[in-house]
Amino acid sequence: MNREMTRRSFGLLATAAVASFAGKKSLAQPASGEPIRIGFSTPLSGGLAGNGRSALLAQQVWGDDINARGGLLGRPVKLVYYDDQSNGASVPGIYTKLLDVDKVDLVISSYGTALIAPAMPVIVRHGMAFISLLGSGTNEMFKYGRAANISPVGRKMNEDFAKGFFEVAKALDPAPTTVAIAGLDSDFSNRAMESARTQAKLRGIKVVYDRAYPPSTVDFSPIVRAIQSATPDLVFFASYPPDSVGLLKAVRELKLTAKMLGGGMVGPQVTAIKAQLGAQLNNLVCWDVYAPEPTMDFAGTTAFLDRYRAVAEAKGAETLGLYAPPLAYAQMQVLEQAVTRAGSLDQAAIGAELHRDSFPTIIGELRFDETGEWVEERNVYVQYQGIVGNDLQQFKKPGVQVILYPPQYKSGVLRPGFPAA
Amino acid sequence: MSRLLRFHLGLAATGIVLIFALRLIGNDYAWYTGYVILQYVLLSVAWNVLAGYAGYVNFGTAAFFATGAYTTILLTKSLNLDLVLCVLAAGLISGGLGLAVGWLTLRLRGVYFSIATLSLAVVLQTLVVNWSYAGGSSGAYTMRPQGNNLFGNYSEFLFVLMLVLALGAIAAAAWIERSRLGMGLAAIRDDERAAAAAGVPTLRLKLIATAISGAMMGMAGAPLPYYASYLNPEAAFSLTYTINTMAMTLIGGTQSWVGPVIGAVLLSALQQGATVTISSAGNLLIVGGVLILFVMLAPKGILGLVQASRGKGGAA
Repeated sequence: MNREMTRRSFGLLATAAVASFAGKKSLAQPASGEPIRIGFSTPLSGGLAGNGRSALLAQQVWGDDINARGGLLGRPVKLVYYDDQSNGASVPGIYTKLLDVDKVDLVISSYGTALIAPAMPVIVRHGMAFISLLGSGTNEMFKYGRAANISPVGRKMNEDFAKGFFEVAKALDPAPTTVAIAGLDSDFSNRAMESARTQAKLRGIKVVYDRAYPPSTVDFSPIVRAIQSATPDLVFFASYPPDSVGLLKAVRELKLTAKMLGGGMVGPQVTAIKAQLGAQLNNLVCWDVYAPEPTMDFAGTTAFLDRYRAVAEAKGAETLGLYAPPLAYAQMQVLEQAVTRAGSLDQAAIGAELHRDSFPTIIGELRFDETGEWVEERNVYVQYQGIVGNDLQQFKKPGVQVILYPPQYKSGVLRPGFPAA
Repeated sequence: MSRLLRFHLGLAATGIVLIFALRLIGNDYAWYTGYVILQYVLLSVAWNVLAGYAGYVNFGTAAFFATGAYTTILLTKSLNLDLVLCVLAAGLISGGLGLAVGWLTLRLRGVYFSIATLSLAVVLQTLVVNWSYAGGSSGAYTMRPQGNNLFGNYSEFLFVLMLVLALGAIAAAAWIERSRLGMGLAAIRDDERAAAAAGVPTLRLKLIATAISGAMMGMAGAPLPYYASYLNPEAAFSLTYTINTMAMTLIGGTQSWVGPVIGAVLLSALQQGATVTISSAGNLLIVGGVLILFVMLAPKGILGLVQASRGKGGAA
């Protein structure tokens, strides 16, 4: 039997994915039989809880959606999850509990590399298909053939991650000749900085400042002062939420200016930091995974965000839902489609389907290579424009997080200079 | 049969019974849970050697524990050494570290000594973060073998290894209590100046205690890279290890090796159970809540309560 997906069958699947958001229960056959149990650990406490909780909400929205339209393989779906407390040492025990005691039928990962990697030996030993969320290179070591990773950074993060930032900078007139690179001494940030160095070298841009700071850093003034004295055209930060806030506050207090400033900053994507920084974000060019621009309005995206926000408001969680939630929902969509295509819960078949064809999701069409990473990286670079005050409602509208990269999703033009005039 | 022999045979029998009981359960989760509980038994017994017997409160548990873990990572990466040899090396290196730290800090007493040990974790974490061969801030992967020559399942092997280490630590702690070393440490705990005046070699005994305690903690951390497969400095140097170890020992009671064992088994079993049953917030409250209760109602821990009920004068 030819298992290659034809254009017609892909179209049918895409139509099904779109139709799923219509929520017409009357058309769906009610799910029956024993529920299919999907197990995972997730950070509901500890340092990663903010993203873990919002991702869980998105996964629960998917659970409600799929049960409303007849379940998976005609059976209802039940999520079985435990809090890993953002602690990797809790993860192996949780996955053995899920697989050996709870006897779950399917597994997905927790959030982030440090919580995905400890699950891998257990997953490999049990031969389970495994879809992870925002890991970076977790399968490089294991080379497990039944894994897929929902992360737009792709397989060559050390090279490609900062490509968008430097591509956007090409629009500056005169062209930039120097860059300052500063970032947190952590896995993700180190890879981001390495990518910035690579891209700068490729384009003949001179690196005039290059430092990593330790996680314990609370005063960012010395870093910003040093960058100021180097007078770079571009400033590329690779930071985590607390330091992103600290860096941007130091930039403002010390009046650092640059032709373009931003980079691989994790933080501005999060609702609480958007509310905290408000108009200070104007003209920042920052890495992202999704922005509510017309160019990224895929089938089901708006419907998902509306549903997610209603639930999040009620539960007092991350209300914008623009960072982890769409990816978490897409994670479940990929699982759903892989199982549906396999036609059973056979893990080898599901694992094979993960690499066979592309998957239409609310964050676009995804295709995974043999290591489970996206075949094409899709690091989005947005520029915050026209923010007034700290009202969160404005971030739900197009035109505030203007997409500058990649070209296929571009929704506006670069406003040069930081800070905004 | 001497009392000592009976004690050692009892420990060995307990170990064998545990292995067979968990084999009857027949799933990996039992090995994983058992491993974590025994890891805390070992850490608590080790912490009590210095804090309970000598009265020196060590806030650097995570530093010694992580030293053991990173010893395994480095030796596996450079020499592909077997885990058992890594554990022995971790004991030697952590013991040496304990000796060095003790020599530098044991002139400090009370809270000053505690702060010095806490800073040890910060110093070592900074070192590891900047050491790319050890994985640096990105962390290090350790591939676990599929099985073991003696045990088909590597999880079972890790459990048995931790069981042997924990039982060995208990035997060592029980020996220290009855030995001249233990009596000397008790004298230091009660009044160090008086002990020194009476001829107790206080510095030497304290150095021995820090070395033994550090070695045990390092050996507790050595199998961690194989247990978790991936380790980064944040996880290895987590303050959770220090806090849990202290809480478990204080809840069990510091007067004897029995206290840390009871505290570790009760609290870590409770934590393991809570992780997969009740909410995360409830789980995190357990350690703090139980510790506050014990500090207020039974400052000498469960052991103190038992002794008080037997009329041996322990405050309850």
